[in-house]
Amino acid sequence: MASLPLVPASDANAAVWRADELAHASAAVLATGHAALDAQLPGGGWPIGALVEILQAHSGQNEWRLLLPALARARAGPVLLVGPPHMPFVPGLAAQGLACERLLWITAATPASRMWASEQALRCADVAAVLAWLPQARADQLRRLQMAASEHAKLLFVMRPAAAQAESSPAVLRVLVAIQAGSDALRLELLKRRGPPCTQALLMPARMGRLSALLARNQGRAGYAPRPLGNLSDSAAPVEATHHALDSLAGAA
Amino acid sequence: MHWIALQALPDAVVAGDAPESAPEPFGSAALAPADATAALGWWALQFTPRVAQVGPAVLLEVSASERLYGGREHMLACVMAPERPVAHVQHAQAATSLVALALLQTGMPPGVVEPDRLPLATLAQAKAHLPTLERIGCRVWGDLRALPRGGVARRFGAPLLDALDQAYGLKPEVYPWLLLPEVFDMPLELSAQVEAAPALLFATRRLLGQLQAWLRARRQGILALELGWQMDARRNTASHGQLLLRTAEPTLDMQHLQRLLGEHLGRITLPAPVLTLRMRSIETAPLPSASTSLLPDELHAGDSLHQLLERLAARLGPEQVLRALPRADHRPEHMQTWRAASAVRAPGNATAGGNTRRPRGTAAGTTPAWAEFYPTWLLATPLRLAVRQDRPLYQGPLALLVGPQRLEAGWWGKGGPDGHADVALRDYFLARSEQAGLLWIYRERLLASQAADAQQVAGHWYLHGLYG
Repeated sequence: MASLPLVPASDANAAVWRADELAHASAAVLATGHAALDAQLPGGGWPIGALVEILQAHSGQNEWRLLLPALARARAGPVLLVGPPHMPFVPGLAAQGLACERLLWITAATPASRMWASEQALRCADVAAVLAWLPQARADQLRRLQMAASEHAKLLFVMRPAAAQAESSPAVLRVLVAIQAGSDALRLELLKRRGPPCTQALLMPARMGRLSALLARNQGRAGYAPRPLGNLSDSAAPVEATHHALDSLAGAA
Repeated sequence: MHWIALQALPDAVVAGDAPESAPEPFGSAALAPADATAALGWWALQFTPRVAQVGPAVLLEVSASERLYGGREHMLACVMAPERPVAHVQHAQAATSLVALALLQTGMPPGVVEPDRLPLATLAQAKAHLPTLERIGCRVWGDLRALPRGGVARRFGAPLLDALDQAYGLKPEVYPWLLLPEVFDMPLELSAQVEAAPALLFATRRLLGQLQAWLRARRQGILALELGWQMDARRNTASHGQLLLRTAEPTLDMQHLQRLLGEHLGRITLPAPVLTLRMRSIETAPLPSASTSLLPDELHAGDSLHQLLERLAARLGPEQVLRALPRADHRPEHMQTWRAASAVRAPGNATAGGNTRRPRGTAAGTTPAWAEFYPTWLLATPLRLAVRQDRPLYQGPLALLVGPQRLEAGWWGKGGPDGHADVALRDYFLARSEQAGLLWIYRERLLASQAADAQQVAGHWYLHGLYG
């Protein structure tokens, strides 16, 4: 008994997790690109090698603005989209940092084949991240994905309907995403995380970068009724005065 | 001259041994070859060019390469190392091949037995005369050698005497040396008729094991192979069938090929029971040698991307595994083409097709500044929106936020059957819906010829993209 290895006091303190604080990053994380969200996540980012569940009412509505900043910064490698609800628009994604050659689109229709394709993708060494739209996944199937993701240290995001929030899930992190009523802001609720429950919802700006600036500039004109095209040049005039790129394209065409 | 004789032991003989302790040939990813002796011979060619196949045994003449391997002892240790296509191998060595073969058959430890005391049954040429030799009291090689040569030659024929001379090293030994075939082509007769295609996979494993031994000996990876089968001719159906398998990169990974074959065989219905299988290599390529890293963190587990894509395409179909090709065009629906990933060889090659007109002022590979205002989802076919009180509706009335962005493109195209399908005359708007978020919609502008009267040039509203 005398030869028991003594743990230095500082290490012992670090190894103890108190239930009222956020868990330490046991594995690598990837910063989300949203500072308010990073502050609430264990380790300060999306966990790598764990299942992250994103719940929302309508699939396809919010995931890109939530994930694109992180995906643009993730390690180089293909990003597999398994069963997305619409066709990904490559120029729009490339402008936000997700290069065209990194995208792979798996259009599998049946839930079983989507599940299989996601699991195979996680086992591939080159793949950087897997985004899977799995509206009908069962908890045991998700657990398989979670195991595969943690074994191969992959970013894994699973998009599910908001109705699934009552089901139990093996996900390490569950985020309920909705659009704030009245504005275009994102309202995030962390349903599950490693740490104390997150009681208040996070509000995030709806758009990033130049798109948000463009929308803000046109804020005052929201809700105008379209007029016949002959008069539209008048309403477009203030936009033209700012010389933004939309109009330079319109002029070139 | 120094000879090593090797013989593959059938798995049934060694089944008594604990299978866990048995050395796995070629590491863990090994398959038993269909023709173990041939596979053993191909593998043995790495030690010496003088390899011969005699019955079930393989003979290696190693005197020329002993020095390269650091002596006789060390050479034998290399030959008997577990890295070989056949798991269980018996070996014997001697100064002449016939003694080595005889030692292999008796199973006696080498060096203990002198050639004179080897039983005559171990000499192949004496087998025909064994009863006679037995009756005249010849039981071992020494007894036969003590007889007068002339009488032996007259009674038993010259071949026996020649064999005896070769065994004692008095005559040179000549064998047809084994050559590695240029093309792998191996038939396999099935022990039982196979009715279902997926059940063929089990027999295929042995052919793959053989293929692996051949590829390793040639230091090549397989690019394309053909699996053929012959079916029962008594059924009035097709008597042959085959399956062509291609991989994107030369591979030696038989597990990957087996999974691909499994996916393909799973979709085949056999009209008649299969009797024989045949595997043929169509195309091989030198294997790129992978440099190993000193640092452990650079080792990455899992299979490579092309293996993943091939496996996904084999099960889901190539049209379900897509990769984007960017195109230089102003029309959003023509800015990208999603193609089967197997057909797109070099990702990022933007100008693959003919009609790629690059917009003015954009260099290759750079995204234009206004691309940041593009949506992230695009509808494959624009959705026509209903209009109420001059406002487009999509899950409720839409509020137009930004616009218009005028697009007038495609007039140079041939167009569809109605003559102007390719022409895009549109005004794009960013619109917001309370339920669906930010949308990218456009209003069609009609050509002057289409418009009913000059005043009405605005067409229908369409939803084209979503900001997800």
